[in-house]
Amino acid sequence: MADKDNGSKKVSRRKFLVKGGLGTIGVVAIGAYIFRNPIRRELLSFANSLEAPYVDNTDKPMVWFEVTTNNEILLHSPKMEMGQGTFTGIAQMAADELSVSMSQINVVHAASSTGNVDSFATGGSTSISGLWQPLRELAAMLRVMLIKEAARKMNVDSNQLTVEDGVISGNGKTLTYAQAAEGVENWEVPDVPDLKDIKEYKYIGRPVPRVDLDAKVYGDPIFGMDADMPGMLYGAVVRPSKIGSTFVSADISAAENMPGVVKIIVEDDFVGVVANSMIEAEHAKDAINVTWESFENLDTAAITKMMTVGNGNATTIQKNGAAFDEGDDFETLEFRSPIGAHAQIEPNGVVASVESDSATIKISTQVVSITRKEVAKRLGLDTEKVNIVPTYLGGGFGRRLHTPHAVQAAVMSKAVGKPVKYFFSRKEEFQHDMFRPPTHHIIKGKLNSEGLLDTLEHEFVSGDVATDSALIPNALTNFLGADVGAIRGGFIQYTAIPNFKTVYWHVELPFATSWWRSLGLLANTFAMESFIDEMALKANKNAVDFRLHQIGDEPIDKRLKNVIKAAAEKANYTEEVINGRAMGFAASIDANTPCAQVAEVSIVDNEIKVHKVTVAMDPGLAVNPDQIRAQCEGCVIMGMSAVLYEQMFVEDGELTPTIYGPYQMALMKNAPKEIDVVLLQGKDTPGAVGEPPLGPIGAAIANAVRRLTGQRLTELPLQLS
Amino acid sequence: MKIKSIYIVLILSITGLLFALANTTKTATYELVDDQAQNANDDYNKMMDVLTHQRCMNCHPSDNIPKQGDDSHPHYFGMARGKNDHGFEATNCNTCHQSENNLNSGVPGAPHWALAPASMAWEGLTREEIAERLLDKNINGNRSHDELVKHMTEDDLVLWAWQPGVHANGEQRTVPPVSKEDFKKAVENWFANGAVIPSK
Amino acid sequence: MKISLTVNGELKTVEIADENTPLLWVIRDTLDLKGTKFGCGKAACGACTLHVDGEAVRSCSYPVKFAEGKKVTTIEGLGDRENPHPVQQAWIEEIVPQCGYCQPGFMMATAALLNKVPKPTDEDIDKNIINVCRCGTYYRMRKAIHKAANLQLEKENNQSKEL
Repeated sequence: MADKDNGSKKVSRRKFLVKGGLGTIGVVAIGAYIFRNPIRRELLSFANSLEAPYVDNTDKPMVWFEVTTNNEILLHSPKMEMGQGTFTGIAQMAADELSVSMSQINVVHAASSTGNVDSFATGGSTSISGLWQPLRELAAMLRVMLIKEAARKMNVDSNQLTVEDGVISGNGKTLTYAQAAEGVENWEVPDVPDLKDIKEYKYIGRPVPRVDLDAKVYGDPIFGMDADMPGMLYGAVVRPSKIGSTFVSADISAAENMPGVVKIIVEDDFVGVVANSMIEAEHAKDAINVTWESFENLDTAAITKMMTVGNGNATTIQKNGAAFDEGDDFETLEFRSPIGAHAQIEPNGVVASVESDSATIKISTQVVSITRKEVAKRLGLDTEKVNIVPTYLGGGFGRRLHTPHAVQAAVMSKAVGKPVKYFFSRKEEFQHDMFRPPTHHIIKGKLNSEGLLDTLEHEFVSGDVATDSALIPNALTNFLGADVGAIRGGFIQYTAIPNFKTVYWHVELPFATSWWRSLGLLANTFAMESFIDEMALKANKNAVDFRLHQIGDEPIDKRLKNVIKAAAEKANYTEEVINGRAMGFAASIDANTPCAQVAEVSIVDNEIKVHKVTVAMDPGLAVNPDQIRAQCEGCVIMGMSAVLYEQMFVEDGELTPTIYGPYQMALMKNAPKEIDVVLLQGKDTPGAVGEPPLGPIGAAIANAVRRLTGQRLTELPLQLS
Repeated sequence: MKIKSIYIVLILSITGLLFALANTTKTATYELVDDQAQNANDDYNKMMDVLTHQRCMNCHPSDNIPKQGDDSHPHYFGMARGKNDHGFEATNCNTCHQSENNLNSGVPGAPHWALAPASMAWEGLTREEIAERLLDKNINGNRSHDELVKHMTEDDLVLWAWQPGVHANGEQRTVPPVSKEDFKKAVENWFANGAVIPSK
Repeated sequence: MKISLTVNGELKTVEIADENTPLLWVIRDTLDLKGTKFGCGKAACGACTLHVDGEAVRSCSYPVKFAEGKKVTTIEGLGDRENPHPVQQAWIEEIVPQCGYCQPGFMMATAALLNKVPKPTDEDIDKNIINVCRCGTYYRMRKAIHKAANLQLEKENNQSKEL
């Protein structure tokens, strides 16, 4: 590995175990080229489009639904609600196929004891698109089952029965779903019935209010942090400040006799304290003196050096044509993005209650089945004996795909024989995040005589994103050939260009990196769409026209063209600077959803001010247009926060800062006062929504700044010189 | 190495000699006058060492933005003076700062926590200019010398500088380079000697 | 030691070992009102904002001893489903929350703002509402704050007419 040789990374493998013991086996052969291998090609394109249908329990309506005595439907969702609005979308889908009103549907997180466990994760913008077909089928199956029971009880042929708002009627008689279900012990699961015509749907396609709106406005205790259990104690876990620390020994003598301390637990991989209150646990934790064997002192410069194209292993993930003559007169730009923190407001927290032969875990998690398996393994229990009770997530963004704290809480609970609640301090959240890895991009391009691109090359380097995670072990990287997360947004979308090539370099970082909402998309699109904009300027062409001329003719290309046109039209896109404001244009395709954005920007007190963002997106069929708009607004603001302000540093071996403020994020005053969203429907099924709008925002802002100031900003966060 | 040791011994000897000379009894009258002036300057310098330290200066901004930390960065989240030196209408100093330091959160606190009034903006001024402002009754709240001494030696918010609590990361904040007792004495002496600004 | 305070209109007396315990934990763990959130513990994010004698306070940085004899209002006491506060009403009408975790803090800060500045300008909002939201709901929040101001003024007008 090149980076090993240049001396920037003198570390032993053992130190990397800070990643949670997931192992770091295997490397990809240098120069691997995915498209020679048809299986890899298939897998990679699947992973990149991420529109896989949901596959767990899709033939078992009784695992998903409960009919309650007050004639309501309880929907046990295997997908977690973390703000993305999935609960509302699936309630709409279920209500329409079940023929009940929205107010009759109550969505709850499926406890793993119900059996409705998602074997993958909530993430990747797949929940609504993946459940679209199976959930409606399950609801339709339940409707058929209930009608059949009603027909028997009412002694009316089921063909004569109709349902409205959960009331079955026909031949002058009526029966509620609850009455139909009463006393039935053996249900016969029918074949999948025909689904309703989309025109019959009352809720799908409508901007119905979120189902969790009241709970979130009146302060109901719905989050992991709010979870309690009777007789509960409070835990805390000692964590090192330095990157790559391994545990050597702990002096617990001072902490043992502190007020409220119940027990101090020293395990091979962590030191925990259990006390009567959270504050007492925290104070005792501070009094435990742990000796760590720490990494050599790293700093940001060392990480940046490590993260440079040419280090690590290269994989060509896309190639067309052959004219890549390095001697040619290429335009070249380099881009960088920093380490990003999730910074979700609800810290990771968990309540665990371990009995002799079972365990119950209340937790905000995006990976119920993995949390369950990890706890079961550590406690030596059968997986079925561990019940994960998921709660609402106070922000997910990929942070809750890793839940080793569930295991630690379980170990502490077992040690004291009582339920234990434990959560991260904010400093621990910042230092022990699973960060968005920094990236470096080198992009080269050459124009032809008509002022269009003849050649375009993108080489970029990233740390682990999807691979080497709890979801996709590193071993699978060998098979996939590339990190399917890091390459999100890395593909060149202007496929009418005669010669283009994308090369992904993988470098292993000494701290844990993972999924950060939209994965590689944010940085990749920033780099690529900034470069395209520069080439448009060089060609003296309008940024919109320049893009439109180089897009291919596949269905996705047509959808991309449509969003580009729609955004430009809605924003009245112009290249002129008017009253000190300029517009910047950018577009991306992520998970098969194209999105284009226009940012309207000015410079106020030498700072970049974003006034308005116009978003045009084609997520396919819009189950809930209002919540899709909300996701666009949220992505614009989270994205501008990341590209204008956010940055983690490494100083003296510590990740820093460790608090909001120094970790600067967009506040109310920074958010654009106007966000105009145009939704297009270029396909008849729902697609990805929660991440694709994060793509264009970085380049849209940077391209506006270029037009205002002449400065081509190539590093995130964007800062004027 | 040996040559270096010799130099060190030499330097120490000279320093010792100077201390010995400094401690010899003063005999001539003119020396006393000079000495008084020197003492007055010492008092002034001690006082100014404190007033220009970050613990004091951070809340005497010239741009209406409170500062934080030893690097005197602008207060995070856009907090500013507001209409009455207490921040904004609903989100003000007391939204986070109480009447004493908070050792759990690291948020500093003292009674009547607020910015010094805009007329007492010291940030960016020379010591002489600060002193002039301090003494100017038109802008110091019409305070006499006695009232100024009382304010500077007894006010809890002023004296907070020596009990500044911990940062968010749990580490102690730095304190001014002069002890609280020495500062009080210096202030009392300087005013007692007529509050003369040295360069004048 | 014992500390007495009024929480959402009810007088509560709590026994507390450490009088410097943040009010947040007494509200959440002792009084079991979980609507007030823990975000950072450093008065930086605003998720723990509640009212003490009508003033917005970040309760993670407010020792419980200072609440003795005072009136504390949390999101649970701001309004309820039968009688929502204008801020809650506006939040519902604009469908503001996404993950929802930071929202009680924002609503409490907004309610405090409307008490001081009944008709806030965008600039008033920018200066006073400085909590942190990760989902990026600021755009809808701003609309909701203006709407809440109008709802509250309407409500006051109606009440004065009734009198």
